[in-house]
Amino acid sequence: MLYIEHLTKKFGDKVAVDDLSLHIAAGEVYGFIGHNGAGKTTTLRSVVGIQQFDAGSVRIDGIPLAENPIECKRRIAYIPDNPDLYEFMTGIKYLNFVADVFGVGADARQERIRRYAALFELTDDLGQPISTYSHGMKQKLAVISAWLHQPRLILMDEPFVGLDPKASHILKEMMREFCDGGGAIFFSTHVLEVAEKLCDKVAIIRRGRLIRSGTMEEVKGDDSLEEVFLELEDED
Amino acid sequence: MLKILIRKQMMEIFRAYFYNAKKNTGRTKVSTVLMFLGYGAVMLFLAAGLFGVMSVNLVAMARAGYAWFYFALIGLVAVLLGCFGAVFTTYSGLYLAKDNDLLLSMPISVHAIMASRLVSVYLMGLLYSAVGSLPAVVVYFIYMPFSVLALLCAILWAILISLIVLFLSCLLGYGVARLSLKLKRKSLATTVLALVGIGLYYFVYFKAIDLVQDIVENVVLYGEKIKGSAYGVYLFGQAAVEWKALAIVYAVVLALCAATWFLVQRSFLKVATSTGATVRTKYTERTARVRSASAALLRRELGRFTSSSNYMLNCGLGILLMVLAGVMLLLKGQALAAVLTAVFAEQPGVVAVLACAVACMAVASNDMAAPSVALEGKNLWIAKSLPVSGWQVLRAKLTMQLVLTVVPTLFLCVCLAVTLPLTAPELALLFLLPLIFMVFSACLGSVLGLQNPNLHWTNEVYPIKQGLAVTVSLLGGWAYSAALAGIYLWIGRKLGSVIYLGIFSAATLIAAALLYLWLRKRGPAVFEAL
Repeated sequence: MLYIEHLTKKFGDKVAVDDLSLHIAAGEVYGFIGHNGAGKTTTLRSVVGIQQFDAGSVRIDGIPLAENPIECKRRIAYIPDNPDLYEFMTGIKYLNFVADVFGVGADARQERIRRYAALFELTDDLGQPISTYSHGMKQKLAVISAWLHQPRLILMDEPFVGLDPKASHILKEMMREFCDGGGAIFFSTHVLEVAEKLCDKVAIIRRGRLIRSGTMEEVKGDDSLEEVFLELEDED
Repeated sequence: MLKILIRKQMMEIFRAYFYNAKKNTGRTKVSTVLMFLGYGAVMLFLAAGLFGVMSVNLVAMARAGYAWFYFALIGLVAVLLGCFGAVFTTYSGLYLAKDNDLLLSMPISVHAIMASRLVSVYLMGLLYSAVGSLPAVVVYFIYMPFSVLALLCAILWAILISLIVLFLSCLLGYGVARLSLKLKRKSLATTVLALVGIGLYYFVYFKAIDLVQDIVENVVLYGEKIKGSAYGVYLFGQAAVEWKALAIVYAVVLALCAATWFLVQRSFLKVATSTGATVRTKYTERTARVRSASAALLRRELGRFTSSSNYMLNCGLGILLMVLAGVMLLLKGQALAAVLTAVFAEQPGVVAVLACAVACMAVASNDMAAPSVALEGKNLWIAKSLPVSGWQVLRAKLTMQLVLTVVPTLFLCVCLAVTLPLTAPELALLFLLPLIFMVFSACLGSVLGLQNPNLHWTNEVYPIKQGLAVTVSLLGGWAYSAALAGIYLWIGRKLGSVIYLGIFSAATLIAAALLYLWLRKRGPAVFEAL
């Protein structure tokens, strides 16, 4: 589903992502962990096409991102770490805007908006301007918009930040259901317990370099993910 | 602390002058100096061009012994100009800055935050009022005896005007803020309020032209009347030429500034942190109308435009100007046509060229495409992560300006065509040139807006009002209109109006095509690299 090969991104002299390669298959929930500034967000933004990279390649569903970015973007959805949405729109206008851009038909979008908005208890607020939303409400709206066009791959940067426990639980169920249905999810998180319980595979990044990746068992063995992560972080 | 906050404020305002967003590096000193010189030259052009001429016309009052009257008149115009330019900046700059919450959460006194914000307001007022007051001082000393002390007095008077603008802007901004807390449809109400203000401003302006003429002709009569019945106005003017009057007016103005500070600081926290009234609309499900991606992007641009009173008032004023000018032409056009025909009886074609220049100048007042890339701000990730090309995004911005401008442009051209005595080829060109210029102006704004956009603003006023793209786009459009009329009066007459306007149309079309091609070919890559 997602092939990242030798991805390198520099900001001036600083190498933010260094020769990173990762393969994510359909059906996988793939966690991406690392300390602040390790290169998680830069990797995600590069894969989504928001940010240009210096070397390497990204293929989504077999389509090279560099050669056909629009076809790649049709297959993915992205939720950033901070849900900066169009505050001049109402929630429903934003969802319709996203649905229009992705070409979602009237009936399909109506059914999905009804379903996901009800799940996140956001239905009554969809007519309100986004500027009046709390951080958590914006995050819920971003999640609904990501699921709206039924992507093949969803990339999320710290998706649980700002969500209440119930919404977090719903999102986890949605993620599992999405991947069981043949989709793939690549998400960054600092909540290692969530990663441990939810992810099929996990990758650990430090100073832009991938230091370990694989199935949860391969990465952590008999230890907890937290112990492994801290141990790897301490290595130089 | 105040110094740190002011530095932050200045960094934000002048960011484009020190930082090249395209290259993601700081500018060289030469580049920064050149940018400041360019901006200074533009302001000088405005000051010398508009208010220099006005001052020259009025200086006869000073020569007749009524220097106070000369300074009072120009001072009032400068105050009006300063307040007009700063009132909405005051409201949004003081109360709506996005970093208000951040700063309020830090161990910074509310007074320091307010003071740093007011420095921006003061600079804006100073800039606008100086455009009117400084030419008056310069012209005064060209015609009147010079001394260093007199010059110092006049300069202090010019500074006094900026202080008057500051406290009036604060009071008006405070009023707008209080009102907006009670209003439910804020953007609409603010826009309507501002439009009423603009209407009044132009009403006073046009009335003032006749009034000033009358005053100049009867300076002694009016001078004595005002001195007798409105002593404050006399003192205000006299402050530019007499130390005692200057000291009195300064004392009054400083007291008013202090009172305004007291009033604003009492409610600053409440207003700045209040979300105000909003219309609570419970969502009721209905079948959405499905649109194409391009239509959705255009709708998004129009939504952004109509949701912001700052955006509408600063970048869409041309719509109102064109409609008002058209209506005025329909009402009083015959008289204007008679005057123009009489004045330019010996110079055929001038009326047609002037009509085109007026239409182009009004078209240039619409520059909503110029700040639209910068206005993406923190939302830029959305447009870049969606399955749309950079060109589709840019085309939506370009189209928005064209859609909003084409109908008022055609209306104005129809009104000009109905009113003015033009030949058939001139009539054709009256429609052709403004429409071509409209496309050129939209392309120019889009190209400029794509270069070094400030995406990290904390207040939308910065890209809308102080962005380099907006300034160059607006003033460039006005310069084009001035050049269109000026070159014709200078040498273009030899060609005749039809050939002259034809050449201008062709040149503008080529320029618009080049800009469009650049946007089409290079624009998407520049956008995607942001």
